[in-house]
Formats: sequence, C-alpha cells, structure tokens
Amino acid sequence: MILPEFYDFCGRAKIVSGENALEKIPALLAGLDAGRPLIITDPGVENAGLVDVVKQAMAPGLESAPVYSDVPVDSDYHVVDQIAGVYRENQCDAIIAVGGGSVIDTAKGVNIVVSLGGKTLLDYQGAGAVRKKLNPLVILPTTAGTGSEMTLVAVIADPERREKMLFVSYFLLPDLAVLDARMTRTLPDFITAATAMDALSHACEAWYCMEKNPLSDTLAFQAIGLISQNLLYVIKNPEDTQARLALANASTLAGAAFSNSMVGMVHNLGHATGAVCHVPHGNCMAVLLPYGLEYNLHRRNEIIGQLLLPLAGPETYAATPRNQRAEKAITLIRQFNQDLHDAIGGRHPRFLSEIRDRDGRRLVEKNMLPEIAEKALSDGARVPNPEELLADDAHMVLEYAWEGTPLDRTKIKTG
Amino acid sequence: MNRFTPFSTAPADLGHYPEIRPKTSYFRKTYIAVMLLVVGRGLEAAARVDPTVRRIFQHLPDGFCLCLGVGPAGPWMIAKKDKKGRLRYLGWRRRAARAHLRLAIKNLASAMRVFTFQESTAQAFNYDRFTVEGSLPQALAFMRALDRVEVYLLPKVIARLAVKRYPGSSELPGWKKHLNRIRIYLRAFFPDLIRVIYKNI
Repeated sequence: MILPEFYDFCGRAKIVSGENALEKIPALLAGLDAGRPLIITDPGVENAGLVDVVKQAMAPGLESAPVYSDVPVDSDYHVVDQIAGVYRENQCDAIIAVGGGSVIDTAKGVNIVVSLGGKTLLDYQGAGAVRKKLNPLVILPTTAGTGSEMTLVAVIADPERREKMLFVSYFLLPDLAVLDARMTRTLPDFITAATAMDALSHACEAWYCMEKNPLSDTLAFQAIGLISQNLLYVIKNPEDTQARLALANASTLAGAAFSNSMVGMVHNLGHATGAVCHVPHGNCMAVLLPYGLEYNLHRRNEIIGQLLLPLAGPETYAATPRNQRAEKAITLIRQFNQDLHDAIGGRHPRFLSEIRDRDGRRLVEKNMLPEIAEKALSDGARVPNPEELLADDAHMVLEYAWEGTPLDRTKIKTG
Repeated sequence: MNRFTPFSTAPADLGHYPEIRPKTSYFRKTYIAVMLLVVGRGLEAAARVDPTVRRIFQHLPDGFCLCLGVGPAGPWMIAKKDKKGRLRYLGWRRRAARAHLRLAIKNLASAMRVFTFQESTAQAFNYDRFTVEGSLPQALAFMRALDRVEVYLLPKVIARLAVKRYPGSSELPGWKKHLNRIRIYLRAFFPDLIRVIYKNI
C-alpha cells in the first residue's frame, strides 16, 4: 500500500442499498426534516415506468411528490432555472433525482438555486460560490456507471457561451443515495455493459493514478472485484436482482474512489473524444481503459499488477509470476471487452473505429484524431496521470485505440 | 483581577488579547521571490525562443494577465501578453485583481517544496497545494509552458524532479536544448532586467 505524503478524502453521503431500499425513503427524508420532495427525471426513465415504481414504493409514507420529467440529455442552466421554479411553485423541501448523470447533475444545479435563494444558476458560478448546506438531495441512480451519486461535482451547459460550467463543492454531495435493483433491472444490455465499463475505468484510474490514497484504493479494489464477477453474468441474466445490485454498488464504490483520487488519461482522452465526436462516454471508457494501463505501465507496473487480484481472483493472481501480473491484467480487460462484444451481438465496441450511432454511421473517423489529441490538452484529467501526455502522445495512443491493436510500447516516450 | 482565570465572571477585556500573527520567514520569502523572478523572466524569453512555449501563449488573448505566486501575501510573479502578442514579465507587484488567471500556492511551506524541487508542479497540483482562479484549460496550458521553461532553466538532474517527464532527444534534441537555453538565459537576464527591477522598486 502506498501512503501518500498528503491526501484528502470526503464521502459523506448516506448509502442505502438492498431489497426494498426505495421503501425507506420517506422515513429517511423525515429524518432530514423534509416531507415534500420534487422528483426530477428524464423522459426515458419515466417511459420505462421507473418513476411509478418509486412513487408506489414511497406511497405509504409520503402523501404526494410532484414530478418534473423533461430533463434533456445535455441539460443546461435554463432547464435548471425552470425546475427551480417548479420546486418553488409546489413548495417542495427536498429533491429526489431519478436517472443517470445528466439528471443527477441537473438536480444538483436545482438544489443550488433553490437552497441559496438565487434566480438563476449563473449567480453561483466560480470557485467557492457554494459554501452553505443545501436542501436535502436524494439520488436514485438508474444506470450502474456514472457514480455521480458520490461526486462533489455538477457539470451544466451554458448554451449561449457554448461551454460547460463546472460546479465543485462538498455541499453538492447528496444526503442520501439509494441503490435498489428495481432501478437498473430494465437497463438494455449494451448500456449495462458501457456503464459498467465506465465504473471499471473509474476504479482502475483511481487505483493507479497519482492521487491514489488508502481509502480510495479500498473502494476501487472492491468495485473492480464486483464488476469482474458480475458484469458478464448480468448480461446473460438481466433479471438477476442480486447481480444488478452488485453492479450498482460497484458503480457507487468506484464513484466515491475517483471523486477523491481523480482519474487520468483514459478519462482525459474519453472526454476529448466525446466532445469532438459525440461518442457515448461509457463506450470510450471501455475502449480506452487497456490503453491507459499500457501507456502507464512503465511507471506503475507493480500497482497495475495488483489489479489482477480483483480482476481474476486469488488463484490466477497467485499462479501468475509477479512481473507478468500487469500484462495479464491488461489482457484480461481486453478479453472482457471481447466477451461483452460477443455476448451483446457486436453492440459493445472493442476499438474506436467500431463505435457507431443508431444508424450504423461510424462516429470516430481517423482524421478526427489530431483534433481530439489537441483538445485533450485542455482537460484536467491529464494532471493526475502518472506519465506525461502531450498532444503527440495522445495522438499515438488514439491511433492504436482506433485500430484496436495493442500499444507499441517502444513508442511511449519515457524521458 | 486575574484576567486569565477561566472562572472569572467579569466581561472579557478583548484589548488584552491581541491577534497573534504568524512570523514570516524572510529567507523563504526572498528565495521564492527570486525563483519567481527567474521563472517570470524565463517565461518571457522562452515565449520568443521556444516554438512550443510560443504556441501556448499564442492561444491566449492579447492583454491576458497571469499571476503565479504564494497565497495569501505573496510573493508574486505577474506576466501579461501585450498588444503585439508578446509575453512580458511585469514584476512582483501584485495586481491580482486584474489577473485573468491566478495560480496561488496555498502557503510558503508548500511553495518551498515546489521551488526546492521536492515536488513536481503536477504532484503539487495533485496534493491540492494550488488554488486556481480563472479558466482551467488556460491554467493547464500555463503549467505546460512552466514545465518547458524549467527544462531550459534548470540542469537536467534538477529539472527531472520538477517536471513529470524530462523530454528525451526525440522530443527536444540536445543541441537545440543547449542553444535555446543559452538564448533564454541571455534574453532573461541581460537586456532589460534592470528595467523590470527599477520599475518594481
């Protein structure tokens, strides 16, 4: 274990996980001195009937809860301000976010506006603008991947300025995150795979990047174990609630880990690829994770080798010579992508050129790679990556990831 | 009356409890001020000599003012991109209110770790020793320029501790590095260093 000279860790959200966890929300809200929550969700979640599940589960303890169900995929501050109006009109005193990353970030934005009394979210831009305890916020994740329920960040777009506003404050951590298998049971297999690989990338990067610390290591280690043991099983047995719950827990554990130890080049390149090519984040993470591990291998061989234990189990770990463990861990993650690709009938991409939209069009063209590499320089996830990643390095990695061939490690600049 | 007794019911005479200010280490402050001056002058020179640093500052708007230093009371290094698009080192007088980007190391002790190269800039960021006011992409670009300047200004054995990756010969050939280093040192310290010191005093 590496004990860094300095680290900080904060994970103050209460987690409720298990069968009938949803039914406990009214009592837990009462404990937070709230009784009239606004449910915030998106049309997809509502059409899947998940809001009805939540309302039915809460009905014995909660008289009524108004619902706002029009959160778009790329939510912006206008939506946040609009929902803040709905919250005030209905005299709500808490928020329940039911959804994935966009819904959760929107709910955090709404909570800033309604708790601090402003007219618009724009009033609270900038470092340190959110310095007070906000109203009770409950998060019910419907994907097992983003880990947003454990992060202190909200990203909300400003369409006029064409930029994403970043809000960072410990007060954005929710009061309560509820993990109930009913929330993820209907998730399609290809989204289950992509989001779980996103969680795996959170855990792996938290494990090997420069801000790793004993607490985030513990969480990341458990998350990797849960994902490697349950993901393929869930794809083949989507109705298994226990395995679904294991993935939801893994996502939350990984979220808490990376929220405190940050992520590295996998997310750096993934964010840039998403911004340039509008590729689903989970797909990018699945493709880029083995490349991130390979690129940093010369600096983190021992640490990456330790990932083999949660990935493959104690027998394989013990049977593999110490100097081969890191290579084996990377091979296993590639094999994991291959197995998911086979199990989902080719809908899980193994390399960048395989990522396609609903109409079958390729989303990442090879001529876009230089732009992605340049864009990656502006992303904060570069900093905690153990090896320097400049535009040339990023371009080299992206080319291999596009073609789907392992990295030629002789081309990595080691200084 | 014994004003120090905790059991006294008399109102506290707050005038007898002056605010205790931490002592300033003038040696540390002076050392960091000198290092910031070297970095500032080095940045200005490197922005003309080295294409990588020049490109980084080309992307910033004209009139862009940046400030690097130690919070809360300094010392500081102020640099500004002038109307001709050239980076100019303005000195150590804090004009933080006008800075578009302000990177502050949180205290002198942390600044000493960075400027004695016990920690690289990236490691200091990861240990949460910096506060950034302004745009994060611009802060990251500035850090890249800073790393490049450190490669030129410092001998290899020290620069290796200051940057995440010391550029190999494929990234920066040896002859080019030495030639640029001489040019940067000449530009940084001879023509108008006196002008900067005079203006700031």
